[in-house]
Amino acid sequence: MSGSLIEARGLTKHYDGFSLEGVNLTVNEGEVVGFIGQNGAGKSTTIKALLGLFPTDGGASSVLGVPSDELSRASGAAVKEQVGVVFDAISLPEHLKVSDVGRIYGRTYVTWDAHRFEQLTAEFGLDAKKTVKSLSRGMGMKLSLACALAHDARLLILDEATAGLDPMARDEVLDLLRDFVAEPGRAILMSSHITSDLERIADRIVCIDAGRIVFDLPKDVITDEMGVARCRVADLEKIAAAGVIPDAELRYLRHDYGIDVLVPDRFAFAENFPEIPVDRMTIDDYMTLTLKGGVR
Amino acid sequence: MKRAFLLEMTIFRDYARQLVGLGLLVSLCIGLGMQTPLAMPATLTCMFFMMSAMGLAAYDQLSHWELFRLTLPLSRRDVVLGRYAAIVAFGLTGTVVGVVAALVATAVVSAVGLPGEVGEAFAFDPDMLAVMAVVTCFTLLIGAVVASVVTPLYFRLGQTRATQILPTAIVLLFVVPVVILGNSGMLDGGIPGMELVSAALEALDTPAGMAAGCVVLVALSAAALAISAAISLKLYERREL
Repeated sequence: MSGSLIEARGLTKHYDGFSLEGVNLTVNEGEVVGFIGQNGAGKSTTIKALLGLFPTDGGASSVLGVPSDELSRASGAAVKEQVGVVFDAISLPEHLKVSDVGRIYGRTYVTWDAHRFEQLTAEFGLDAKKTVKSLSRGMGMKLSLACALAHDARLLILDEATAGLDPMARDEVLDLLRDFVAEPGRAILMSSHITSDLERIADRIVCIDAGRIVFDLPKDVITDEMGVARCRVADLEKIAAAGVIPDAELRYLRHDYGIDVLVPDRFAFAENFPEIPVDRMTIDDYMTLTLKGGVR
Repeated sequence: MKRAFLLEMTIFRDYARQLVGLGLLVSLCIGLGMQTPLAMPATLTCMFFMMSAMGLAAYDQLSHWELFRLTLPLSRRDVVLGRYAAIVAFGLTGTVVGVVAALVATAVVSAVGLPGEVGEAFAFDPDMLAVMAVVTCFTLLIGAVVASVVTPLYFRLGQTRATQILPTAIVLLFVVPVVILGNSGMLDGGIPGMELVSAALEALDTPAGMAAGCVVLVALSAAALAISAAISLKLYERREL
């Protein structure tokens, strides 16, 4: 088996008013890939395409080596035993009790671990007698995560799975995800708007905008190497004139009190321009500078 | 398919319980109203086929369940076949509940010893069981045909849109042909094949005819569901969720 648990090449899908345009995405063993982008950028559409929930117009993708368009067919459905999926809202019939949900999964997954499910629901404070309808959004997400983590999956595909969770619950979930991916042969694709979560857990960040992948970088390159220089107008000219950053890569974003400049290597930049303050780059900063910033 | 079937059964379980309770009540009311237990299993059979087809589809679009279900280790084929298996299972549950209600009503009336027509109508008569079987098989066919018409629409359009167009579809399929044929003068010379129908109805007066009638009605029901399932498989295979 190859090291890629998810592989998408040139994935294309056209709708009225929106298209996925040649999406390339890889998730390798042992990786947590953070999938980010603005609302409507194509994250959920990409995830659904990967899961074979609709036919695509071009390109190819596979999950655990099985082509996505086979996943909903008899020939490929079995591989989904090894995939745990969580959507951005609980996607189970509302009248079911938490215990019924466990029963449903038990009847659907050969590898279902009822004990693990009970353990996780207890850890998350989920009452087995409560119905799905009576759960808050956060508790619903915890139930979905408990389901995804209780059938010995190799791959987790999480679409906004931490949305609605309080900070302590998010910590708890991130710990569980870290433990999950620490086992050999496993990986996580995780879309999220909460980039602070991704800063804590992701190995790589992939950003999509208007249906196109705009960057795919190791997280450490963004958060450990890059920086944001807080400049005045004159500073920007000085940086450009110094040629430390090639013109084509000199991204900046004007705001009321100055200009933020994307710095590829903040340590080298600090040596060259000690008078210009440079902050550590966050994923949010990088996304904003990439999507909204100008290039000289 | 077995997994999808069990999934449907688990999801529908609570509603099915209510349906059984409601069915028993309706069945008793019909039995007492018609002063015969004859129609009790027939009514429930038809009712359970129709209500399970519509009730099961009702859950599909709640909370994006239809979409999420395909992230479970199920194929679209499993989903379709599991749905039909569940419809048949619940439909036949209606038959069993109806038969039990009819037998219990007969036993209670006999034990209490009600006088007059009601007492006579509910008196145990082995011949009545044969007639009950034929009537039940006939309503089985009606229920199966209705389930066979609505289920592909649900799979193709989803519950919300299908429910909007179902009245139109039913009028087009069942009412318009009758009105057109009735007013076209085509039937003035008598309905073609009417002699055959009359002969078949006469044959139902004999025990062998009744048995054959039941077999034919069950076979027609099975054929309707099988054709419907084949259509649903084709439609759902291409459905963009």
